[in-house]
Amino acid sequence: MAKIIVVTSGKGGVGKTTSSAAISAGLAMRGFKTVVIDFDVGLRNLDMIMGCERRVVFDFINVIQGDAKLKQALIKDRRLENLFILPTSQTRDKDALTRDGVEKILNELREEFDYIICDSPAGIERGAHLAMYYADEAIVVTNPEVSSVRDSDRVLGLLNSKTYLAEKGGDNTVRSHLLLTRYDTQRVARGEMMTVEDVLEILAIPLLGIIPESSTVLRASNVGMPVVLDEKSGAGKAYEDAVSRLMGDQIEMRLDSGERPGFFQRLLGRTA
Amino acid sequence: MSVKPFQIRGRFFTAVALRPEGDADQAFYDALDVQLRHTPNFFANAPFVIDLEQTDSLTEARDLVRLIEEMRHRKLSVFGVQNGTATQTATAVKAGLISLPSGRDVPVDRVERSVRQAPEMPDEAPEAPQPASLLITEPVRSGQKIFADRGDLVVVSSVGAGAELIAVGNIHVYGHLRGRALAGVNGDTTARIFCQGLDAELLAIAGLYRTSEDLGPAIRKQRVQAFLMDDKLCVEPLK
Ligand SMILES: Nc1ncnc2c1ncn2[C@@H]1O[C@H](COP(=O)(O)OP(=O)(O)O)[C@@H](O)[C@H]1O
Ligand SMILES: [Mg+2]
Repeated sequence: MAKIIVVTSGKGGVGKTTSSAAISAGLAMRGFKTVVIDFDVGLRNLDMIMGCERRVVFDFINVIQGDAKLKQALIKDRRLENLFILPTSQTRDKDALTRDGVEKILNELREEFDYIICDSPAGIERGAHLAMYYADEAIVVTNPEVSSVRDSDRVLGLLNSKTYLAEKGGDNTVRSHLLLTRYDTQRVARGEMMTVEDVLEILAIPLLGIIPESSTVLRASNVGMPVVLDEKSGAGKAYEDAVSRLMGDQIEMRLDSGERPGFFQRLLGRTA
Repeated sequence: MSVKPFQIRGRFFTAVALRPEGDADQAFYDALDVQLRHTPNFFANAPFVIDLEQTDSLTEARDLVRLIEEMRHRKLSVFGVQNGTATQTATAVKAGLISLPSGRDVPVDRVERSVRQAPEMPDEAPEAPQPASLLITEPVRSGQKIFADRGDLVVVSSVGAGAELIAVGNIHVYGHLRGRALAGVNGDTTARIFCQGLDAELLAIAGLYRTSEDLGPAIRKQRVQAFLMDDKLCVEPLK
């Protein structure tokens, strides 16, 4: 049975879509049948980053409203055998998303896929809520700065209270992981950005990875390629490590400078 | 000294208010059934009041009697009305309900807790007092609000910026306090706030407050207690 993972943050522009694309590609490269869904209705982005924007015919909303079959809307990635994209609508708004519609589609996808990655819109309104509602796990994407950390804290509160698993009230809760992105060691060293330890101290969830600020990310998205496919990219490598940790592998954290941050490694050894 | 064959005690319960908006017609009952299907057993055995604030109908005895019967048929134990007009209230009293003052709204999840507990309360130990303090073991996240409405609030974790702790009694935080903490909100000037790392946005006791701006850097990140002395909110390191 598939695992549903929401990629969420509260704040916009922190790297949710970039991370959704990279992580789903990373999972597909490992042989898992993976689908990534764009929940950001009205701001179609994911298909661009995945390089399939010219192949979109039907979208998520068409399927919810019964205008298309799920099979018609799913786009198969040209590079990776196991990767599929469910794009969103550019013309509709978030009200077109319904909980029943989302549930129905996720149930159908669960039958066929190993991983379902939900790329959440920013904010904490309907779209973001529905993106996280049925999640088994969450990847909370955070930049090392105060407002992003604050928003992530808020989102963690919602994951603990406003999701299906939370409302059901059993032993299962949404497992949340922190993905620290756009991490710029130089700016951190100059005190312009928060350190990993600072962020971890506030959010207190296991660290899935640290993605360095890197020009390869923008380059990759301009050519519509998930950055993990760029073998030379430090960010791509960091996403690969994050995927391994998601699978439960113990991999040492490293920053792009090659320096090993031993302290927080010990501070929050992954419990996975 | 004489022994009475009974005792009289005041007792608080949480009731659920059903607030019809308009006529109690078929659409109303359909919507009610949909709600109850979504939350089966949620309201079973819960004490119910009908809040008439949003409706002008239900003045006729038969409409009201039907509403009561339909509710009881759905295992909703209705016992009173509130916020009705004089006519509505008179009709309700005739139909065997009691007229209640307005009361205070609380989130329905809190109602759920007390409602769920209600049927389990053992009859033979009616005096067993409920613990008045509230214990929170998870981090309190930004945007969350925790209210200890009868006593102390104890948080064995950190409290994020933008989170809010409110207690009638004391507040204890065994982690970093980065949000707001309001103790003694019913006016208890002896209430105190304790924390292991002070980085609060606001501390308040019995309405007297200080914000992070005037808490000063000296006590930042320290283990402190806050208390009132001579109508002033004092914050001192814990030794
Ligand atoms: N590690 C990174 N290094 C440099 N730029 C990045 C990185 N991650 C994301 N970006 C850039 O940040 C912008 C926002 O990213 P995006 O993934 O669309 O964020 P979101 O989906 O959270 O709004 C994009 O221009 C993207 O290329
Ligand atoms: Mg996005």
